[in-house]
Amino acid sequence: MSVTLATDVGGTFTDVVLTGPDGRVVVAKTLTTPDDPTEGLLRGVRRALADGGVPAGEVTRFVHATTLATNVILERTGVPVAFVTTEGFRSMLALGRQARVEEDRYDRFFVQPEPPVPLTHTFAVPERIDATGAVLTPLDEKAAESVAERIAGLGVSAVAICLLHSYVNPAHERRLAEIVAARLPDGTPVVASCDVWPELGEYERATTTLMSAYVGPVMAAYLRRLEERLRGVGVVAPVRVMESAGGVLPAALAADRAVYTIESGPAAGVVAAARLGSRRGLADLVCFDMGGTTAKAGLVRGGRPGITHEFQVGGKGSHGGRRPGTGVPIKVPAIDLAEVGSGGGSIAWADAGTLRVGPRSAGADPGPACYGRGGTLPTVTDADLVLGYLAPDGFGAFHLDASLARSAIEEHVARPLGVDVIGAAAAIHDIAGAQMGAAVHVVTVRRGIDPRGFTLVALGGAAPTHVARLAERFGIGRVLVPPHAGVGSAAGLLHADLAIERARTFLAPVSRLTSCSASRDALGELADLLDELERAARADLSAGGEAVTVRSVGIRFVGQAHAFTVELPAGPVTPETVQRAAEEFYKRYHESYGIDLRDPVELTTARVRVTLPGDDPPSPRVTPVPSPAASRRIWLSGEWLDVPVRARTSHVPGETFEGPCVVTEPQSSLLVPSGWRGTVDDEGAILLEARS
Amino acid sequence: MTSAEGTAPDLTAEILRNALCVAAEEAGIVVVRSAYSAFIVEGADAAAAILDARGRLVAHSLSTALIQCASLRSALPFLLDAHPAETMEPGDVFVLNDVYQGGIHANDLLVFKPVFVDGMPAYFTGTLIHVADLSGISAGGMASDATDVFLEGLQLPPVRIATADGLVDDLVRVLAANSRTPERLVGDLRALVAGANVAARRLAEIIETYTPAGLARGVADYLAHTERRMRDGLAGIPAGTRRASYTLDDGHTVRVAVTSDGSGGLTVDFDGTDEQVPLPVNSGFSQTIGGVLYAVRCFVDPALPMNEGCFTPVDIRLPRGTLVHCTRPFPGGGRFGTVAAAEEAVLSAIAPDGAAASGILQAFSISGVRTPWLHMAFDLGGTGARPDGDGVDATGALFGGGRNIVPQVEPVEARLPVRIEEVSLIPDSGGRGRHRGGLGTRTVLRVLEDARVDTRGDRLRRPPPGASGGSPGRPGSYRRERVDGRVEPLDAKATRQPLAAGEALIVETSGGGGHGPPGHRDPEALTRDRADGRTT
Repeated sequence: MSVTLATDVGGTFTDVVLTGPDGRVVVAKTLTTPDDPTEGLLRGVRRALADGGVPAGEVTRFVHATTLATNVILERTGVPVAFVTTEGFRSMLALGRQARVEEDRYDRFFVQPEPPVPLTHTFAVPERIDATGAVLTPLDEKAAESVAERIAGLGVSAVAICLLHSYVNPAHERRLAEIVAARLPDGTPVVASCDVWPELGEYERATTTLMSAYVGPVMAAYLRRLEERLRGVGVVAPVRVMESAGGVLPAALAADRAVYTIESGPAAGVVAAARLGSRRGLADLVCFDMGGTTAKAGLVRGGRPGITHEFQVGGKGSHGGRRPGTGVPIKVPAIDLAEVGSGGGSIAWADAGTLRVGPRSAGADPGPACYGRGGTLPTVTDADLVLGYLAPDGFGAFHLDASLARSAIEEHVARPLGVDVIGAAAAIHDIAGAQMGAAVHVVTVRRGIDPRGFTLVALGGAAPTHVARLAERFGIGRVLVPPHAGVGSAAGLLHADLAIERARTFLAPVSRLTSCSASRDALGELADLLDELERAARADLSAGGEAVTVRSVGIRFVGQAHAFTVELPAGPVTPETVQRAAEEFYKRYHESYGIDLRDPVELTTARVRVTLPGDDPPSPRVTPVPSPAASRRIWLSGEWLDVPVRARTSHVPGETFEGPCVVTEPQSSLLVPSGWRGTVDDEGAILLEARS
Repeated sequence: MTSAEGTAPDLTAEILRNALCVAAEEAGIVVVRSAYSAFIVEGADAAAAILDARGRLVAHSLSTALIQCASLRSALPFLLDAHPAETMEPGDVFVLNDVYQGGIHANDLLVFKPVFVDGMPAYFTGTLIHVADLSGISAGGMASDATDVFLEGLQLPPVRIATADGLVDDLVRVLAANSRTPERLVGDLRALVAGANVAARRLAEIIETYTPAGLARGVADYLAHTERRMRDGLAGIPAGTRRASYTLDDGHTVRVAVTSDGSGGLTVDFDGTDEQVPLPVNSGFSQTIGGVLYAVRCFVDPALPMNEGCFTPVDIRLPRGTLVHCTRPFPGGGRFGTVAAAEEAVLSAIAPDGAAASGILQAFSISGVRTPWLHMAFDLGGTGARPDGDGVDATGALFGGGRNIVPQVEPVEARLPVRIEEVSLIPDSGGRGRHRGGLGTRTVLRVLEDARVDTRGDRLRRPPPGASGGSPGRPGSYRRERVDGRVEPLDAKATRQPLAAGEALIVETSGGGGHGPPGHRDPEALTRDRADGRTT
């Protein structure tokens, strides 16, 4: 029987979820240890194993979500990188494709962004390959040696290489990488673009490669350490890392292709929300994930999480920082999210007579004042505690001290603003709510989508406390709070598929593949490429026969730029299968653009996705644990109310209850304001519906 | 980090506004994805907008340049003159390119589709791209020796291109027969129609959701709100009249007087501007309006949405028959030099102590002699330095675009018989000054088959001047490299110059002017420029 450990390291909390052979779920929440995140993680792992009574050696799957790559990029804490390209194009990264869009274009004070690699660290070597892969100018090995020498002199920790047309012929990149690596200290990563994203478009290929080089060494060191420490406690299952598009990668690959993990943790949450929704017949969801440091919103429409290929690092603007044309593009697929720097640990402060919340977070250390770990600055969690939304006896191992919370708010907010502590706490809670609203706003209203028909899904420790008020803000009438909502992202990882995609540019007219004459060569080339990609992807996953392979091709009209991805049937590649793919393309083109066109088409990309499906057994029906009736005073709509407080585990499946009330569980506290009715389902999920 | 007023007071109004923008956005995406024009396919953007039946601009897609907005907005009244609203039927789609009726030049096709409320057109969706080829003396429509509009390409007054039954085949045949690349042209036309259709469908859904009255109210509020903010911003321009001028390479001068009433109203009068010329140097009125709006918008909140509310407070006076408002049959295709001159003049009239002048975009097209392939591209100059900082490299900002319109090398080489050997910043091309001008670029493009080249540049003979004691930027150029390595200059407005297989076109863009005395430059900045190779 399988035993899975799923772990999610956030800015404040590290969540560990274990499913044992009997399907029972055990949860451990620990404080993140920022200096060495494996420390807090191991603490959680040990506790989950102990609580579940599972010996470490029996763990068969270890799945990990981490915001490491994102943090490294956002905080610019990656390693120093040098960049090498084809002679004549040394300015490639400095020139970029930075569009001046929206407000930037009218900004007389627009400041040119710094290139992602300083020009002093950018090099070019004589060599040239053409679009067919033919070598026009052989790699000048002498010049390459001298570039390697100069790079060695810079003391960089990684090198990114992107030569023109390497997606079709990687020989020069590979050789150059060897030459450069030979001059650098052992183990210095030299990342070639043909290994990261072998597709046409040199600028995006270069930036994607560059970011991989920038983050990779940090990620590799971290994962190495994590594996060592896990071995140390007896967990021998291979470490797998959530990738941004919702699949899971083996650790070694996650280090090599670090950019694929940029939205690792948040992606897990959205995937979990989609799965939770679909089990309950809910296809249109707004996933709201609020932890200690940030809050994210993601959209699920028709049961599918939105995927973007236009992730922009350091981008800005109205689409949650992913506006095409700003920042540095990363072309790997990622779940589409908006994020705001506001979570339970966000610090409230008075700024010249105005109350502000965040973006600074108390994090795990010292944490909110009420943790009693030396934090003296008031946070959103402190406000929630003072308002009665959180139980004073805390959650899990954390005892919360309301008097510390109160004095922090008194000193830093109430007194400077001349208001009372309760008024200040209520304002902090409201402002945090408005900021959460901004994230939801970006993925819905900003895109012209009316959120009112959607279900809001609460994930993350702070989400249940804020979710109903957030729903009210948007007129959303339905809220889903899954079991273990407080560790929602990690719980989502339990059932994630192990999946990897490999793709490479393959340009060929479909007529060449389908005509009876002379088609053999091109067909053979395509078949060989697909086989090669599949072999590589299976090797990536160490997958055997149980893996599911989906092969697809990009197809477009000859002369156009945008391709559709069309699946190929299983079995050999024949003129008929290619023709069928073309027919499917015509159909989809017509559906998408309303243009019924039968012009010549060409293949652009060969793509293989190999998946080892995760298991998704129904959770065992919950057995209610009776608990004594209790009540607490909470501050709601400007007055103190005595409301019932019940443990989540005490609810009987099918039972309904009315707000105002508070439902507690070890990792979170669900605030149900007046006007909401809750229903508990068989798995223990709570569905809140607004009584209109 | 926000303060308490972070929530929308009226969610419905905001969803509506965004839904209108998203409808335009979708139209733009459909056009780009289904177009064949080399220009669009290799990276440039499509324009898409929503207007009302009074010709007011309501919303546009993010990638729509202001001059394209201005064209769609300027052309709609002419369409309604030619085809009164009551004669329009559901399913009708119209096309035009007439520079004297709001168009730009022959190759920029404007497509409009009415959206009906209670049996009458209440809104229009509009799309616009530079299509592959539509006749004219040079392939791709960039003939710099076109002495009249007829040499620039086939002229299209507002005509019906589609009905509920589909494309009007007879007209499509005429258009195809007048194109060097008929399949591509028809493909582009289909793309434009598809884009207008998609936006119209979305708009119909919006009307369904919000009711016609609800949408009308939402639009009115939106435009009024924008206009208020625009006026608030413009009120910051001190009352009075200030004049400025800018002279093109060939000596023609654009002159402007900008009068502020001090309370948000602005009059921009081009009286005194030189007469139009029988060469593609003039600008159609819609293009100058776009340029003026661009310059004026630089003085208000950059985040203001772009709609009719931005146009209303600005009274733009364009004397007919001048460079900034050409009349039949004077050509308008080479407008960017003139529009950029108008922008520069308005900018310096409003802010006399502002930025130095910028290098502008330099267009070129290369077409096959034996087979009908076409490569069109822009390279961009450096922007002028400002009182508070250096200029920006190679973004030629005056059109509001940026480098995303410059194609990448690999897709171009995969498609066309050309090889791009260099795209690089030119050291020392930014004008010297306390603040340095932005750098220009050098592109070396070798053809593998016999071809012809058309060029269209300005600010090459009169490079962008510096300001407050700064030096001018280094002038750009177009040159031809022979097979034996000899390099010879091409004219800034060269037409159909032969480029034999193995020869290369070298395009260098101008650097921006510097600002302030060069001797006052911060030594650290000098060191950094040298280390980065921006100076030698």
